[in-house]
Amino acid sequence: MPDFPSPFSIETPAGCDGWQEMYPYWSVFDERRRESDENRLWFWNSQHFPFPMPPFDMVEVDHPYYTLGGWQNRAFAVPPAMGVDYRVVNGYVYISPNPVTDPDKIAERAGYFQKRAGYYFENWEDLYRGWRSKMEALNREVESIVVPDLPEYEPDEVVFGERNLSNIDLLRAYSHTLRCAEMMWQHHFEFLLLGYGAYLTFAEFVREQLPDIPDQHISQMVAGIDVVLFRADAELRRLARLAIDTDVDGAFVEGRSPAEIDADLSESEDGRRWLDELERIKDPWFNMGTGDGLYHYYGSWHDDPSIPYASLTGHIEALKAGKDVERPTEKLAKERDRLAEGYGAVLDEESRPAFQELLGLARTVFPLVEEHKFYCDYWFQSRFFNKVREFGALLAKHRFIDDGEDIFNLSRHEAMEALEELSLTWSTGSQALGPQHWPPIVARRRELLERLGEWTPPPALGAMPEAVSDPIVVMLWGITPQRLAEWASAEDGGELSGAAASPGEVEGPARVVRGLGDLDTVRAGEILVCTITSPAWAPIFSKITATVTDIGGIMSHAAIVSREYGLPAVVGTGRATARIRTGQRLRVDGSAGRVTILDDS
Amino acid sequence: MTHTAQLAELRRADEPRFGGKSANLGELIAAGIPVPPGFAVAATAHRRVGDEPVRAEISRRYAALGEPPVAVRSSAVGEDSADASFAGQQESYLWMCGADRVWDAVRDCWASLHSREALAYRARMGGPEEPAMGVTVQAMVDAAVSGVMFTCNPVNGDPSTVAVNASWGLGTAVVGGEVTPDEYRVSKVTGEVIRRTIGPKAIEYVRGAARSDVPAERQKVACLDEEQLGALVEVARRVERHFGSHQDIEWALDRDGSLFVLQSRPVTAVRKRDAGPARSAVEIVMGRFGADRR
Repeated sequence: MPDFPSPFSIETPAGCDGWQEMYPYWSVFDERRRESDENRLWFWNSQHFPFPMPPFDMVEVDHPYYTLGGWQNRAFAVPPAMGVDYRVVNGYVYISPNPVTDPDKIAERAGYFQKRAGYYFENWEDLYRGWRSKMEALNREVESIVVPDLPEYEPDEVVFGERNLSNIDLLRAYSHTLRCAEMMWQHHFEFLLLGYGAYLTFAEFVREQLPDIPDQHISQMVAGIDVVLFRADAELRRLARLAIDTDVDGAFVEGRSPAEIDADLSESEDGRRWLDELERIKDPWFNMGTGDGLYHYYGSWHDDPSIPYASLTGHIEALKAGKDVERPTEKLAKERDRLAEGYGAVLDEESRPAFQELLGLARTVFPLVEEHKFYCDYWFQSRFFNKVREFGALLAKHRFIDDGEDIFNLSRHEAMEALEELSLTWSTGSQALGPQHWPPIVARRRELLERLGEWTPPPALGAMPEAVSDPIVVMLWGITPQRLAEWASAEDGGELSGAAASPGEVEGPARVVRGLGDLDTVRAGEILVCTITSPAWAPIFSKITATVTDIGGIMSHAAIVSREYGLPAVVGTGRATARIRTGQRLRVDGSAGRVTILDDS
Repeated sequence: MTHTAQLAELRRADEPRFGGKSANLGELIAAGIPVPPGFAVAATAHRRVGDEPVRAEISRRYAALGEPPVAVRSSAVGEDSADASFAGQQESYLWMCGADRVWDAVRDCWASLHSREALAYRARMGGPEEPAMGVTVQAMVDAAVSGVMFTCNPVNGDPSTVAVNASWGLGTAVVGGEVTPDEYRVSKVTGEVIRRTIGPKAIEYVRGAARSDVPAERQKVACLDEEQLGALVEVARRVERHFGSHQDIEWALDRDGSLFVLQSRPVTAVRKRDAGPARSAVEIVMGRFGADRR
């Protein structure tokens, strides 16, 4: 088997010298670790980090990996696997698992794992209920953090009461915000590995016993019907009906901005009542994400109401045309039971009990697997980044940066440095260097990130492993010997393969969409080619004829929605957006997981 | 009528007298599976092959059937069902018309017991010197399409799919391996066609068991549609349920589109999936994380 390029052989793209200064010293390939780093496999974590990392967003790399490792290695002691290491190359995140190889050590860890994981599986529902409460509390905590202004004179309470100096509260608030992010990631990974493990064990068991079963039947047997992720849209459908019933639907005209629609509605009594009703559902349902959470530029419906408003307009139109806009929950539930009973019935008596037990456990753990995205990746993340924006606004007000958004071009430590200098110079009344120090740094980084965004990272670096034994890596990233062999052989001849996520075969023109901003370029009849989709993309699924994504498995958002709309989908192709150009004719075979570029040149 | 019986009267318990094939067909009829009408000749008649009464009884049965073209097949006692490979050593005589031809075919079945191949086979497998042999006589199905299906995937043992092989005309072409048939894999659970491979079906056997070339435009056309596959899977489910084990079923669709089962045998050579020792779901998941209970 050929090895992949050495991580030390990767060239810096033109004009990007010194990109390393954006990232922590521990995050880069360093000569002092060469021997061990060169002799292991590193793969690009395109699933979570498809774009070059803005320096502040390294919070979303460090915190996950130190909480994932904490639970996996130190708390549950997963026998053959410690944590996951990461390195940044040209702005992109590569990861590598740390295996445990000593059999005695593995046996020792197994003792801890059985006891500790066993406790979680046995008490899952209670623990998950508790988890939801603590996540909701944390989400409200980060939102409630007050970023103090720095006043000319401190208020009386500082002198006559117990209130802190404003600059002290400022620094405390900033630390508090970061500590909340750590807490979120701690909660995020608390159950997740066990949940994925139980689900994937069921899936593997079923594939072993029933090799012909379509993947989607496996997920259909497990998937929840009334999960939190669908509730937001259910509320929008209810509001669409309410708008029609109270005769205010005329305000929803395609092409109008949310502000224009609001202005129109607020002119009538019924319109204002409708707006009040909308206000009531915003907490928590407008915390739906517009992206997949891990970058600061993804927000929520609060930040970009054009997404839910587009859905509202669509639902109203459909309802007035006499169409049924409800999710067919009863049908979905019936189908789920029919599949579970049918597959259970064909198994022999030896394997049926294990099938039923594993299915039961998979269904028990699955709400967390599906719903953690709402609590963590959407709700928390959008509140967290908005809180960081408040610190950015303060720094901009004091001219440390030109614009509040520029804070994301500083690392979290640099932002602290800037806030400390601000605290110092505000209190002493002396001249700050920050306004001359930070803006050129920010400008250079903006340029670097733009250039690095044009570079295509190789899927893997370093040595081809003899075996992929880390269960976590297989579960979370789908790294299998077969996948590695595909990467090593690179040539594709106009064909891409991925997970067969939704059956059917379709030909048509491609539309490559790189982000939410491109969504309005999609025309009816086109095949959507994108990195990843999120609930915010819902409105376009009624236009397109198939979906192809770079990232994701059969449980990804794109896969689930495609199945609901009956559209063929191939997900997790790794490089569809890099390989396919808008306008090329594609054949998408969602049953085989194959995408063919028909007019490749 | 001491040497013959209607197929519909037979049950599993009649196997020692009438042989496996006839007894099995009786079982299928009892289970409500469509089987071409016919009768069975007892193995005991074999030793009285010169007897006029045996011949007369067969003629009467044939007349009662309406003297249609029939298929005459051997129905071995004691080895047919489980020992499927022995069946291949036996004879089938198709499109026999008239009482004389039927009688000749019955005698030829018996004679096949003494063929060189059958003797060699029994010598190798240690079967009885002089095995007992019944005969099955059934109305011919004038098949437009026919083939074989397994109530599980014969390659990987998946019990949730029915594997169907089908080609134009009589089943002879498929069973004898003379064509590459269409292959369909159909889910027993949802009825979906999971895989469909269209074979180049170059020849077919038609009425009178005549071999003929399939016109080019029909060769690469699927010979079964969704509805016909649905009917086949339904029959596969019922046959499997009736016998309580996976079955290898020969079937035919006549020119009116009616489906008949011609034969059903237990599948013997299928990979048995090891479910492993009985463990709880949590134990299995623990094992996935590398923490087997020791």
